[in-house]
Amino acid sequence: MSALTLTLRAAPQGRVDMSGVLPATLAGLSVAEIAALSLIMDGRPVALGELFDVAPGEANRLVICTATNCLDYLGKGMTAGAIIVEGPAGHYTGQNLRGGELVIRGHVGHFAASGMKGGLLHIVGNAGDWLGAALIGDRAGMAGGVVAVEGDVGDRAGDRMRRGLILVRGRAGDACAARLLAGTLVVAGGCGGQPGFGLRRGSLILGQAPATLPTTFNDAGVVDLPYLSLLRRHAEGILPGVVPSLSRVRRHVGDLACGGKGEILVAT
Amino acid sequence: MIRNGVLIDDTYAEAFGMKATRIIITADNLTWAKNAANAAFGFATSVIACGCEAGIERELAPDETPDGRPGVAGLLFAMSTKELAKQLERRVGQGVLTCPSTAVFAGCDGEEKLPLGKNLRYFGDGWQISKVIAGRRSWRIPVMDGEFLAEESTGLLRSVGGGNFLVLARSRCQALTACEAAVLAIAKVPGVIAPFPGGVVRSGSKIGSRYKALPASTNDAFCPTLRGVTESELSPEVEAVLEIVVDGLSDADVRAAMKAGLEAVCEIGAAGGVVRLSAGNYGGKLGQFHYHLREILA
Repeated sequence: MSALTLTLRAAPQGRVDMSGVLPATLAGLSVAEIAALSLIMDGRPVALGELFDVAPGEANRLVICTATNCLDYLGKGMTAGAIIVEGPAGHYTGQNLRGGELVIRGHVGHFAASGMKGGLLHIVGNAGDWLGAALIGDRAGMAGGVVAVEGDVGDRAGDRMRRGLILVRGRAGDACAARLLAGTLVVAGGCGGQPGFGLRRGSLILGQAPATLPTTFNDAGVVDLPYLSLLRRHAEGILPGVVPSLSRVRRHVGDLACGGKGEILVAT
Repeated sequence: MIRNGVLIDDTYAEAFGMKATRIIITADNLTWAKNAANAAFGFATSVIACGCEAGIERELAPDETPDGRPGVAGLLFAMSTKELAKQLERRVGQGVLTCPSTAVFAGCDGEEKLPLGKNLRYFGDGWQISKVIAGRRSWRIPVMDGEFLAEESTGLLRSVGGGNFLVLARSRCQALTACEAAVLAIAKVPGVIAPFPGGVVRSGSKIGSRYKALPASTNDAFCPTLRGVTESELSPEVEAVLEIVVDGLSDADVRAAMKAGLEAVCEIGAAGGVVRLSAGNYGGKLGQFHYHLREILA
């Protein structure tokens, strides 16, 4: 059976909150019932059917076709199933994701994967700033699951991230892994300034040496870390070629201003 | 029943329930993985005084291990969960953590878990790092050659220990040759180990002793030197008896291992000096698992 498909008719007049449009909530509903569901657009309720054409299908695999990046909170709180977004996504994509698979075949906005605790968020394009980071007022960012980004990510990726794995094939902006609490951020394509600033624990793994590091990092030399084999094997099934191919890496320990138990590993 | 000139006794081996686990030890090469395994699983022939019974189950190719390096799978068996946990921690801590280039991983899942790197991590003195990869937590413990990687826990399995059979032969040399063939055959069966030295034991025991402190003592009925002074099980032509003990993760594993071993001995047959096959039978007092030799060879 084909997937349940929602196709955006035209660019909405405002930003649309897609909270609640999940495989679990749409399962068992008729096309009319789905079309009658209420969404919020710029603070006002709007029927889903006014914005989307609904093609019936298996709700466990939900396809959302969009040409604009006005759809926010896609996949928010999803626990199981799959959502495939054919096109760009807005902000807060995959917020509080608990399980299942959320695939964005386009770029995503800011604060993707914030509060994520499980599942897989696969972004085929670029991601904006604050990927996997803590929302304003939250103590920690992403706390589990895997985020895979085929393109580049903006500034502050992994800021105050607590647990989980972020894989970036492209380049990261400034201050990636800043204030990271734990977890792993892998960036294959180089990064901007101040990587790992305020890093407490956890690992920032860079495929290319950064131009500079914060002065509060010390060079521990080249070391062979067997755990990288484990990580590479896991990552190969998600985003191949992102984790350095050798387990021998240069290790920088820091941020010494924050305990010094974190690390920046640079491929040799 | 007679197979290839060998008399198969109408008796059964008596085995008992044990707690077990499997761990995987990897290293830069197989030699160092085996060095670690031999240290960790050494002095683990019998629960009577070793705390556990352990051994290498099989060698693993790089594509079979979690970190893509050569390794070995090992099995440990003990009489209680508490004792198994204690032995596992001590043996991995002293035998694997200490061995250059090694890492250790869970080799099985189970509803209950046994600590593997969970407590060993404190060797890192605060510098240990936790990594959760694919839902499994491992500990990176800094050591002088880099890092010792240990998965947090391994599974606890209910298993069977003490499957056995006795090989009665015309000479010790012939008994040993037959047992060597049996051990080679058993090594091909997954989920089992033969924990005694080289897989063979010469000091088969009976329950109890005339000395109060000893829970077990020599199986005098099968000792050739005691023919004439005890109620011997041995006919005049039998000069030596050797035993093979098998521990397995399940009743079926032990049965398969015993079948493989018994058939290997039968293949050598009377021409190779094997006279009889028997089993350690304690009148049903020792354990709930019974392996009837004739049934296994039928």
